[in-house]
Amino acid sequence: MKTKRDKIGYVFVLPYLIHFSVFVAFPLAFSFVLIFHKWDIISPMDWVGFSNFSKLVQDVLFFKAIRNTLVFLVIHIPLQIIIALALAEFLNQKIRFRGFFRASYFMPVVVSGVVITILWQQLYAQDSGIINSLLVKLAGVKLPWLTSVKLAMPSIAIMATWKNVGLYIVLFLVGLQTVPKYMYEAADIEGASHWQKFRHITLPMINPTMIMVVIISTIGGFSLFIEPYIMTGGGPLNSTLSAMLYIYRQAFSFYHMGYAATLGFFFALIVFSVVLIQKKIIERENIY
Amino acid sequence: MKNFLKQISLFIILIALSCGNQQDQNSKRITLTYWSANNQDEIDLARSLVAEWNEAHPRVQVKHQPIPEGRSSEEVVLAAVVGKTTPDVFSNMWPGDVELYVRANALTALDQFADFDSVATDRFAPEKIDEARSTDGHVYHILWKTNPIMMIYNKKMLARAGFDKPPATYDEFFELAERIKKDTDGDGYIDRWVGITQILVTWWQRFFDYYTLYIAASGGGTLLDQQGDVKFDNEASVRVFRFLQELFEQNYFPRERMDARADVFLHSVVATRFTGPWEIRHANKFKQEGFEFDFAPVPVPDSSIKPVYTYGDYKSIVLFKNSEHPRESWEFIKFLISREADLRLLKLANQLPIRKNILIDGKFRLYFQDNPKMEVFAQQAQRVRGADSSPVLREIFDALSQEFEASVIYGVKSAEQAVEDAAERARLIME
Repeated sequence: MKTKRDKIGYVFVLPYLIHFSVFVAFPLAFSFVLIFHKWDIISPMDWVGFSNFSKLVQDVLFFKAIRNTLVFLVIHIPLQIIIALALAEFLNQKIRFRGFFRASYFMPVVVSGVVITILWQQLYAQDSGIINSLLVKLAGVKLPWLTSVKLAMPSIAIMATWKNVGLYIVLFLVGLQTVPKYMYEAADIEGASHWQKFRHITLPMINPTMIMVVIISTIGGFSLFIEPYIMTGGGPLNSTLSAMLYIYRQAFSFYHMGYAATLGFFFALIVFSVVLIQKKIIERENIY
Repeated sequence: MKNFLKQISLFIILIALSCGNQQDQNSKRITLTYWSANNQDEIDLARSLVAEWNEAHPRVQVKHQPIPEGRSSEEVVLAAVVGKTTPDVFSNMWPGDVELYVRANALTALDQFADFDSVATDRFAPEKIDEARSTDGHVYHILWKTNPIMMIYNKKMLARAGFDKPPATYDEFFELAERIKKDTDGDGYIDRWVGITQILVTWWQRFFDYYTLYIAASGGGTLLDQQGDVKFDNEASVRVFRFLQELFEQNYFPRERMDARADVFLHSVVATRFTGPWEIRHANKFKQEGFEFDFAPVPVPDSSIKPVYTYGDYKSIVLFKNSEHPRESWEFIKFLISREADLRLLKLANQLPIRKNILIDGKFRLYFQDNPKMEVFAQQAQRVRGADSSPVLREIFDALSQEFEASVIYGVKSAEQAVEDAAERARLIME
């Protein structure tokens, strides 16, 4: 029998439903419609069928942007996991000023990405940057951090790691604190070294956290935008042009809304596939 | 008692009549919305002009708003056109975008007004009216102001390099560059350069290097011809690419961004820069004691025709089609481009109105006497070119910018190949 309380439930979920309809369902449905149209925002839409897809498969620059994004991920994700895990392990020990260190590492996460990017742009500056000033004193060289085709993307990956590592430290800390203490005690009795305990107890036990960190940082890495947009504009020679930056340019610099929507859907498909593969691999490696 | 009643009745009738008049007046009063640029100088100018207009025109009141904040005014206008929330009049339209809005049927043709021709010929030389004409033959915007791009130079740095006047040709510029280039701190890296330009590939950055130099080298040419076909794959383009390429190759220009540090020109790190009249106020405000600067036309190839043309960085006034009062809006536009308003544009905003004979018109003489550096820009403003009218102009500039980066900054392509590739890409975009 339905009661009045059942109906009140719908009222409670209504704000979410409205939000979902306006900000998720409608844009998603609309961008799906856009895939088959040519539209510059102010003129009426033109039906173009699958021509946006045929343009996509011939778009060399888009595939270069995807390759750049993958290069970023290959550097950024392992670097981030290693640093975050090492620091989490360190901050999980009984050390002095633990709270202060935890807060310090988390601080860049809450600071605006634009502010951090501008700050690092100054650090990386070839002529006047602090990093190069130190390098000149130590080794007598200056590196073109943001103007070299080979160095620009790794430089961005280092900066992104610095910004995001605090969040992953917190996640790993949560994971580390769920590992039962008796396991380490048993290992101590067996005479296991610190590394053996880490390799055979900690790592397998925090595997669910690892899956989450890899997936979140992969999705975050695929959305690379602010850093190249502000620091390099996609250069030098399109070596830091990320897929998101390319899609943004197509949509909001050149008003190719239909084509940008097609690129967006295709890119979402790639992200989904990569995350699915990662999940399968990491789950399979769950060795006790 | 009768008298009292009569007086009361008369009073009520008078009140009723006056209310009726008031209502009638209110119903006839109209309000126009005017958007100006949102920098403080132009806000002050707009406020002063609107206050004067409103006082003189009680029936047609103007409500001034600085253009709402956004990443760029172009994006805000686009959003307003789509949302049909445009003002009646807007005074900061980039002419390169006009054709896009014309095709979207968002602008009113100004030449439909009976007095357009007399207003236009009073203000402009015939070539300027043609420059503003759309591909359908109508005029949808009034070219209002211009910021001619010139070369600012550090007088003391040039004097120390043995130059008592600024370099006028590419050869002279290279000679100056060689004398300025220096490693002052002995770390093995150059830290003084002849000039600087933005290395970002953002399409509009090319207005301040390639496009300005191309207009100068080609004697006033632009990217497209009158039929809208690509015409920049020519000797002038190649020369400009080669010139800039050598500046980077020889380390005369730094291959890095310096916009995050203190102004490199005012701190004598670079000796020149291609810039507009806005630099005068900025330099005067932030220069150090004893710093001297002046302006000169941008350098040209040795064989180029004199006098030198440059990019004009125009801004226009437009009347949007969804205005309910186009005639009154046109009257307000005429007020905005009057001689008195132009003088105020100079005085309050330090920007040059696009007006013929401005240097010999007595109304402006005193201003230029007091502001000799602005006179240099006013002289240059007689020989400026804007951007072509094309809905795909941004993409054409993007194609040029990509080739500019490959050829000029990183030298992975010859100047000839870069120009050819940019033109080919531009033709594909136009298809």
